[in-house]
Amino acid sequence: MADQPIKVLLAKKKIDVHGRGSKLIARELRDAGMEVVYFRFGTVDDIINAAIQENVDVIGVSIMTSGHLPIAEKLIAGLKKNGMNEVLLIMGGVIPEVDFKALQEIGIHKVFLPGLPGETVAEYIKENVGKARLN
Amino acid sequence: MINENFQKAKAAWEKGRQRYADKIKPKKNLSGIDIKSVYTPEDIEGLDLATMPGVYPYTRALYPDGYALTPWMQQMVFGYGTCEETRVKMENLVAQGMEGYFGHKVFNIVYDIPSMYGIDADHPEAEGNVGQCGVHLSTVEDYDEIIRDWDMETTNFSLITGDNCLPGLALIAAAAKRRGKKIDVLHGNSMNWYPRIAVQDIPSWEPKYGYAMMADLIKFCTNSVPAWNTTNIFMYGLSECGATPVQELAYGLAWGKSVIDAGKAAGLEPDSFVGRLGFQIGIQMNLFEEVAKLRAHRKMWAKVTRDAGCSKSQCMHARVHIHTSGNVLTAQQPLNNTARITLQILAAVLGGVQSIHSCSYDETIGIPTELSHRTALRSQQIIMWESGLKEVADPLAGSYYVEWLTDQMEKEGWKIFNELEARGGYMKGLEDGSIKRDIDNSAYETKIKIKTGKQPVVGLNRYVMDEKEEHQPFRVDYAIEKKAIERLRAFRAKRNGKDVESALENVKNACQKLKDGEGQLMPVLVDAAEKGVTNGEMMEVMKRAFNWVVTE
Repeated sequence: MADQPIKVLLAKKKIDVHGRGSKLIARELRDAGMEVVYFRFGTVDDIINAAIQENVDVIGVSIMTSGHLPIAEKLIAGLKKNGMNEVLLIMGGVIPEVDFKALQEIGIHKVFLPGLPGETVAEYIKENVGKARLN
Repeated sequence: MINENFQKAKAAWEKGRQRYADKIKPKKNLSGIDIKSVYTPEDIEGLDLATMPGVYPYTRALYPDGYALTPWMQQMVFGYGTCEETRVKMENLVAQGMEGYFGHKVFNIVYDIPSMYGIDADHPEAEGNVGQCGVHLSTVEDYDEIIRDWDMETTNFSLITGDNCLPGLALIAAAAKRRGKKIDVLHGNSMNWYPRIAVQDIPSWEPKYGYAMMADLIKFCTNSVPAWNTTNIFMYGLSECGATPVQELAYGLAWGKSVIDAGKAAGLEPDSFVGRLGFQIGIQMNLFEEVAKLRAHRKMWAKVTRDAGCSKSQCMHARVHIHTSGNVLTAQQPLNNTARITLQILAAVLGGVQSIHSCSYDETIGIPTELSHRTALRSQQIIMWESGLKEVADPLAGSYYVEWLTDQMEKEGWKIFNELEARGGYMKGLEDGSIKRDIDNSAYETKIKIKTGKQPVVGLNRYVMDEKEEHQPFRVDYAIEKKAIERLRAFRAKRNGKDVESALENVKNACQKLKDGEGQLMPVLVDAAEKGVTNGEMMEVMKRAFNWVVTE
């Protein structure tokens, strides 16, 4: 298990055109030795199914065109229902900083501002993967 | 100019800097062109600068007096909620003085992403996005609310659609017809920017069908809506995906050429439709590089169109709408963005463009507030009315640096353009993924430069402050989704089911005919829109017909 790379599902809504940031993060996480599944979702159920199927350690959701709060709520409820309680959940993109607290209360472990180095995200993942629980 | 006096001055200059000259590090601009610290007459030797604004190849300006006759169009992007909320916003913007040429009204309406990709408000995948980052428009009644009571002879409706471009035009045409207007009265823009999928990761059609639909819209407008601007060559999209200014220039021109080729292949004479193509160009942060890019762009497009067989001057005009870059704005210390946006508007105006959208300073945080959106408009208006910039056409002409850089951008641009053309052109580069690879790699390189501090970004890698931003973005109530669904259901309940069914059957047949290279889809879509067929319903049939794919 120790030799297995950390596996990340990087999810982005398929009808959202703003892919530059998430694609860069995907590349930077790969540079950091992680296995990244870049995934375009239609509904939140698609993320959950992909996470189960790919058996990932981390789910990252990129948000560029609103919807972060309802997506977070549905995602966490769905993951719990499917027994995926140990996955590390992160979000990033154009998300108002004033909503970070609300997202963390729902159960998102960490929210990242846009434009940050992928290393910042990679370090956070390395430190927290396997320790996270969905409450 | 290079006379004895100059040689003397140059010798003195060299002497004056001897002491520290080797300490000045070589610089490159964002396009990777080497930049010196001083330019002289020697740098523009041999360049043909004996030209005038409004005269081929239009390097200096499209029109003989630049902005002196009428300033650029203020085309702020807007749209949220349902047609009702957006209608109110239209009226607010008019009250704030947003206008186009000669005081005409211009509306640059952005759709929400469900509308863009052809799903109605009640589709499960629309959830969370209805009316959020654009307006939800799906029925002829929605469009009626948008066009109601504006003077159709002069008002310009620019429809920022996605793949729903053809249905969008059909629905506004149907709305005009319902008001007793002939559709040839319509003024505005279709995006018709299928070729953007070369770089943008969105679901779309198979390339040959994407191009076929693009040509279908052009043909329809050429024959039936002559004042409609059919195609927006979306260089801004290339730029935001990571293209350097020179890549944006070269790939944008290649994209434009591919549109001309598609129109010609559909049987159109270049002079009949090329004049209705336009560009949307991004502005990044290097001021003179952007000015040079815009000057080179006009010159290069004039050549591309002339080589393609255009003879009318309006067909050789590169008409440009600017979208200041959203990507360069920072979420950190967001008010700093007002300085960036001002600089970008300045570059656009010095570059002599026809229309500008200026971003709002809080776009990195969420949907712009009324204040930030108005401030972005006011920033244009301050430059328009207080700075004196619009009084003189192409004021940087003759600058050693700007003329040299214009020439460099052109040369480097042709290199990329010609290399792509030799490989089969833009459509080939779209199909084989080479354009995307090239631009994705530039985005990656830019990020590395920013991470390492080589490319300074204030607030991000310099002058960083560890402060939480308490900025409240504009909120579109998620309840808007319910309202949109109710509107849609009430509309559907009023329709004649049989009419809708037969209209959809006609759309299906017209799609097949277009695939077979015969017949036109657009008129059939207009008919369907009149019968009450929605955006999502048209798109569902089209998706099936034209092999809808989700790219990574």
